Amino acid sequence: MRTFAFKRAGAAVLLLIVLSFVLVVLQQISPADPARAYLGANASPSAVAAKREQLGLDDPLPVRYVHFLGHAVTGDLGRSLRTRNDVTHDLGTYLPATIELVLAAFLIALFLATLFAVSGALQWRGTGAVRGGLLVLGAAPPFVLAIVGIVLFYGRLGWLPGNGQGASDSPGPTGMLVVDALLHGNGPLFAEALRHLILPATVLAIIPAVAIGRILRTSLESTLRADHIRTARSKGLDEGHVLRHHVFRNAAGPAVSMAGLQLGFMFAGVVVVEQVFSWPGIGNYLAASIPVADFPAIAGVTLVLGTIYVLSNTAVDLLQAAADPRITA
Amino acid sequence: MSTRSSRSLRGLAVVGVLVPALALSACSSSDDAASGGETAAAPTDGVLTVGLLGDIGQPPDPDIYYANNGLAIVLNAYEGLVQYKNDSDAVEIAPRLATSWESSPDNTTFTFHLQDGVTFHDGTPFTSAAVKVAFDRRIAVEGGASYMVAGVTGVDTPDDLTAVVHLDKPNSAFLDYLASPFGPKMESPTGLATNAGDDNAQTYLSTHDLGTGPYELTKAETGVGYTLTQYKDYWGSSSPFTSVELPVYTDESALELAFDSGDVDAIVAALPSSSLDKYSKAAVKNYFLPTLQSALVTVNSSLPFFKDTEARIAFLKSLDQKSLVEQVLGARSSVATTMYAGGMIPGDADKQAISYDPKPLADYAATLPDDAKSLVIGYANGNANAEQMANIVVANLQTDGLKATAQGYETSTVFGWINDPTQGPDAFIDGNNGPDGGNPYMWGHVFWDASGGINYFGCQSEEVNALLDRAVVDGDTDLYTQAGDLYGKTGCYLNLSYNKDWVVAQSWLTGVAESHNIGANELNFAMLGIDGQ
Repeated sequence: MRTFAFKRAGAAVLLLIVLSFVLVVLQQISPADPARAYLGANASPSAVAAKREQLGLDDPLPVRYVHFLGHAVTGDLGRSLRTRNDVTHDLGTYLPATIELVLAAFLIALFLATLFAVSGALQWRGTGAVRGGLLVLGAAPPFVLAIVGIVLFYGRLGWLPGNGQGASDSPGPTGMLVVDALLHGNGPLFAEALRHLILPATVLAIIPAVAIGRILRTSLESTLRADHIRTARSKGLDEGHVLRHHVFRNAAGPAVSMAGLQLGFMFAGVVVVEQVFSWPGIGNYLAASIPVADFPAIAGVTLVLGTIYVLSNTAVDLLQAAADPRITA
Repeated sequence: MSTRSSRSLRGLAVVGVLVPALALSACSSSDDAASGGETAAAPTDGVLTVGLLGDIGQPPDPDIYYANNGLAIVLNAYEGLVQYKNDSDAVEIAPRLATSWESSPDNTTFTFHLQDGVTFHDGTPFTSAAVKVAFDRRIAVEGGASYMVAGVTGVDTPDDLTAVVHLDKPNSAFLDYLASPFGPKMESPTGLATNAGDDNAQTYLSTHDLGTGPYELTKAETGVGYTLTQYKDYWGSSSPFTSVELPVYTDESALELAFDSGDVDAIVAALPSSSLDKYSKAAVKNYFLPTLQSALVTVNSSLPFFKDTEARIAFLKSLDQKSLVEQVLGARSSVATTMYAGGMIPGDADKQAISYDPKPLADYAATLPDDAKSLVIGYANGNANAEQMANIVVANLQTDGLKATAQGYETSTVFGWINDPTQGPDAFIDGNNGPDGGNPYMWGHVFWDASGGINYFGCQSEEVNALLDRAVVDGDTDLYTQAGDLYGKTGCYLNLSYNKDWVVAQSWLTGVAESHNIGANELNFAMLGIDGQ
């Protein structure tokens, strides 16, 4: 198991090195000019050329990559050409909001997925509309869901806010408003932050909920048909006991794997949702950085998202290996 | 099994009907809100909320900032010596921190008489000594607009309220540099020294200000929003708004909804023309205010399709300018008839020679072999107006048998073409662009000279550049007109429309036109008010 874990960690590091190389190559071949972002739209070509040299943008690819990687391993991702802050500082500012959004969405996705799967597998009466609704919503692109959600719940009904995170200053220590408000026992801030969180988190949760729910439902249905369940029932065991101890536990494995993958996808897919809701996270930061070719910021966010994705996949692998030792063989 | 299937199908059918119905209901409600007779109430807490579409893009440091909507902060926290006259469609220099000024006959010396009783936000009195400090800092931080003071050789300060600026060579555009929204602003010398750090106070000025304007920057959260708080000791008039909130919306629909709901009080030059119809029917006020901005077409002479001048001219002639402008830009624009911005050259002596005639391009297209009929019309991503115009142009080109396509490009890519124009499209439609100020030199230099900044494909004429360089010495209008005529003959450029700033505001907001000037593209919040107060 330990060897397996080391191999997975090594593969993760290698993947990140490859990702960083791809990023530098892409920037090298891109026709976009980051120096223009630094100076502004109307800057003269001579001023832009001078800035390019100052920023090292004309250096050969190997020099730039070694420079980038050398600094990145020490945690120095450079300075954003747009905000003029260190990228690590910007990531520290925006990442907590994204983590809060994704974690909230993940919890909602798990709840909806469980509802979807259990109600389907156990054929609960009256829940067909819920499952159908999830399927229909899951087929819509997130930006459409987001806009319809804003129009309906903010514009028409006025139940939920449609923009931002609410209070702009987190009292700390996590930077996640809902969590910090709880830690400080600040009820009004908690309520305000939660109101702002519900809509974007729900939009972000829909597609993963359907993906996890379908896997869980299939798994539940096949487990319910298994011989040991029939045996358990024939022994006269209570139905609740059978479900808790024999069905859910055995059916959860594939759904846990899918949930891990979806968590990684949610971090990658958060850009669109953050943009529509003006959510102050790294997705929004990335979206603002791309049009102006703010390479340090783009590379920083990409590496963070890549790391999260690789880590979540590695965690899934390790969990599966722990559950089934044959995988490590 | 069949019972279960039919139940599921019924459930799906119910949802299939309900979800689109909810979406439709949501959309129709949005239109209803905008077109209805309901009006949002004026704020009673002294807070004005002006929504920003997208973040400001750069720190709101007046020597760094060289973009667009962040001017709402820069122009309310800082002041320059002069500005353009408010509420006027003429390019006219007006006083700000200088009450009057004189220039030497050869345009090398400019004497400014300064407003008395002005203090910076840190309490430091504003005197002539601040002028040189501000100019020096602008050079030191090397921002995009540092060229405006690059020719300054010295600033004499015979007394506290007089500053005499000396230039290295004659420049009739210098006052326009100072009046430009991107022009040098006065910054507290004390504050700059105290907060200098190792970057000339750039870090400090990314979240604070050191200006003399009617508002202080009291909160700056990149990508989230900004807060301006009224400066109590401001030397000029003040508005009932003790605070101005500038929340950042990254989605246009969300911004419109916030305005429709009354959470946003005004939107300045941020919405596309496609929203004009909606707000023209709403119980809000629409203002169309003069600017120096235009929609433009630039043609890539470095690519084979438009290598020949005749082909470029034929293409520009094929553009139904009137139809494009009216169809896409609507009330926020009028058809451009001059080479420079409207009103820059007295009497519109700089008439454009291009007139609508689709035949030359159709004839030219007929002569081309099949493998030479492809061309790309570019536009900047995110500019809905330019995209729509590009699509219309492409559709018309296709009727001539050309294999035309429209393609969007990121802004940073667009500005990179100057390094290698062959990487660009065959022609580019700019939805809204303009010079830093109202002097004809500033227009001709940036759009026609390859070293100017907005000549995307580097199509230039040495003769035109020389005429502009001669004209700027003493502001000779004839030379500017000749330069325009000559550049028009290259076929690389067409001024499509004179654009206006479209401001949509809640009906109780007053003073909008009075708080705007032709160069600023933003409002002076100190001049806004509440109807009936």
